Amino acid sequence: DEEFDELCFEFGLELDEITSEKDIISKEKGEEKAKGASDVVLYKIDVPANRYDLLCLEGLVRGLQVFKERINLPRFEKIIPAEGEGQRLIITEQTAQVRPHAVAAVLRNITFTKNRYDSFIDLQEKLHQNICRKRALVAIGTHDLDTITGPFTYTAKAPSEIKFKPLNQSQEYTASQIMDLYRTDSHLRHYLHLIENKPRYPVIYDSNGVVLSMPPIINGDHTKITLNTRNVFIECTGTDITKAKIVLDIIVTMFSEYCEKPFTVEAVEVVYPNGKTHIYPELAYRTEKVKPEYINKKVGISETPSSLAKLLTRMCLKSHVTGNGNHLEVEIPPTRADIIHACDIVEDAAIAYGYNNIQMQIPKTYTIANQLPLNKLAELLRLDLAAAGFTEALTFALCSQEDIADKLLTDISATNAVRIANPKTAEFQVARTTLLPGLLKTIAANRKMPLPLKLFEISDIVVKDPNADVGARNYRHLCAIYYNKSPGFEIIHGLLDRVMQVLEVPPNEENGYTIKAAEGTAFFPGRCAEVFAKGQSIGKLGVVHPDVITKFELTMPCSVLEINIEPFV
Amino acid sequence: FTEMPTDNFVESSFWNFDALFQPQQHPARDQHDTFFLLDPAEAPQLPPGYSSKVKKVHSQGGYGSQGYRYEWKVEEAKKNLLRTHTTSASARALFQLARQEKFSPVKYFSIDRVFRNESLDATHLAEFHQVEGLVADRGLTLGHLMGILRQFFTKLGISQLRFKPAYNPYTEPSMEVFSYHEGLKKWVEVGNSGVFRP
Repeated sequence: DEEFDELCFEFGLELDEITSEKDIISKEKGEEKAKGASDVVLYKIDVPANRYDLLCLEGLVRGLQVFKERINLPRFEKIIPAEGEGQRLIITEQTAQVRPHAVAAVLRNITFTKNRYDSFIDLQEKLHQNICRKRALVAIGTHDLDTITGPFTYTAKAPSEIKFKPLNQSQEYTASQIMDLYRTDSHLRHYLHLIENKPRYPVIYDSNGVVLSMPPIINGDHTKITLNTRNVFIECTGTDITKAKIVLDIIVTMFSEYCEKPFTVEAVEVVYPNGKTHIYPELAYRTEKVKPEYINKKVGISETPSSLAKLLTRMCLKSHVTGNGNHLEVEIPPTRADIIHACDIVEDAAIAYGYNNIQMQIPKTYTIANQLPLNKLAELLRLDLAAAGFTEALTFALCSQEDIADKLLTDISATNAVRIANPKTAEFQVARTTLLPGLLKTIAANRKMPLPLKLFEISDIVVKDPNADVGARNYRHLCAIYYNKSPGFEIIHGLLDRVMQVLEVPPNEENGYTIKAAEGTAFFPGRCAEVFAKGQSIGKLGVVHPDVITKFELTMPCSVLEINIEPFV
Repeated sequence: FTEMPTDNFVESSFWNFDALFQPQQHPARDQHDTFFLLDPAEAPQLPPGYSSKVKKVHSQGGYGSQGYRYEWKVEEAKKNLLRTHTTSASARALFQLARQEKFSPVKYFSIDRVFRNESLDATHLAEFHQVEGLVADRGLTLGHLMGILRQFFTKLGISQLRFKPAYNPYTEPSMEVFSYHEGLKKWVEVGNSGVFRP
């Protein structure tokens, strides 16, 4: 087990869990139900999101074996049938409105066993979830070719005109009935919305009018694949042609292993509405030329070109040295759709070399370090506020709408707040425009602590700003609160004076700071003042209004200071 | 290392995802994982010349890359969100660096809040802090990255490190950094890193 873990780690896979079917059922349903379940050890492996070729057992094993140099990567061959003998898929123009693209291929004389069949279905599901984005971009349909006759037509029709027996059902339904039928199905109901409101639904027929499938929802029962199926017709329909091609390539490369002539795929001719034709699957082998020194330089190793070629071949990228020994020709197989730049090749070379074998060095870059002025100011103020006897709090930047509006006796529209479209809970509806609610909630959570409670926070608030390039910006605020049996206005005022003292801002109107009596909705009338400095209002201080105190579930009076410290940077 | 400005929680999808080569159909851009904004919903401006370059690289490729080959939509890029990683601030910093007349090597860092649309539990918060650092210079290698990471973690008291190949849309090669936790008696992931894609 450890060996396998090491191997996965080196290759870039994460061995998540070593379990068995029995264990899984035990955990989910209890020991009783697990009796009789399989004890066979199961490995749960995490595959990176860009490696579609490792999603099924066949691909994973193949990849690891090539990595360990046990086998050579098989070469995939596309067989183009003689004129008139191959299958054709004709796309009509009606599909353009709903699901325009389709590609197809045939696997001839394939032999299925229970495991291979399960793996085949499993891969389709995984691809659907992963690259197909839950069938929205591409949907895969696989059919028993011997039950149908080509040429096949991919078209789109009104829901009432489509009628067939869906997979594993016992009678025929129209398309609209099928939508209703699967509305409660835990698996399929998530895909209904992809075509539900369109005037026409996509559907694939054979030359006798038998329905192969209604993508992306369900296949027809007629073409169901069984363990006895010998010839498989695969079609991928969707809205993204690049992904449809990749998906088709992956399926055929993975399972052509089980065809009578291994690793061969029979091509299908796809006819477009404008008459043009195209042969699928593409199974394109691409060659990229890379310089060995490029790889060596990027990774920080110095391997000879031929050893680099060997390393890359171990990663399923067959390479050999060309030129006068200073070029590498790398062949990218159709299974590696994730290689889109030379840097992807560099990564594979590094993986084959073994990341942990690379010598670590420190870059010889000389730079002068710097702290961002705003952050430096905040750090200095934090120390001084703590020295003044206040305790720092760190609160959430997101809060509920009531926290910054109703509970502070003001209206939400007056706050200029940034609102979130998809909060999971009511606690994260808006970004805070003031640090006050956070501190009040902190006090509410610490009611049992001895009085007085003196808290502060220096952190960002967010407001809408039409001048900012994203429409909102942050301001660094300082907020301090004093909670005790008496409100302590003089203490908060003293704190403001202290802060100004350390900021070296004199207490006069022309070039320093001053406070003027003001009204604030969250403040006790007659006990509120506005702070002016550097020619602008930077905040308020005062005794908090009793209604606000009650709304935050507190019982004692408190006074608060909140200012914007950015003008002092 | 010089500190980068990170004082903007609200970010456009452009800087958070598109400029970092994360395709518009990527699951992380889903409703489940990112906080999208109701108001302001869209970023009023994107850098014009740069955004057309990003569009080209996504849809057709460029700079030696094949690209993703899909239709890149500017409306998708304009969607505002609460940033999911401080790498968006790094992207902005690198953009500024690129507009300098003469290239000078830099080392940047930042420590600030990020937001992910998750349910809260013992190991997950909806907002948390990230430490990010980057080095830009000529002739940097993966070995250099590993060296810096090893020094950084050693200063934090973590010295048993292993590196594992990983995947990020914007870095290639990428590595996850694992450290052996004495208390848990197993290797835990302590960081993620990579060399930015050309």
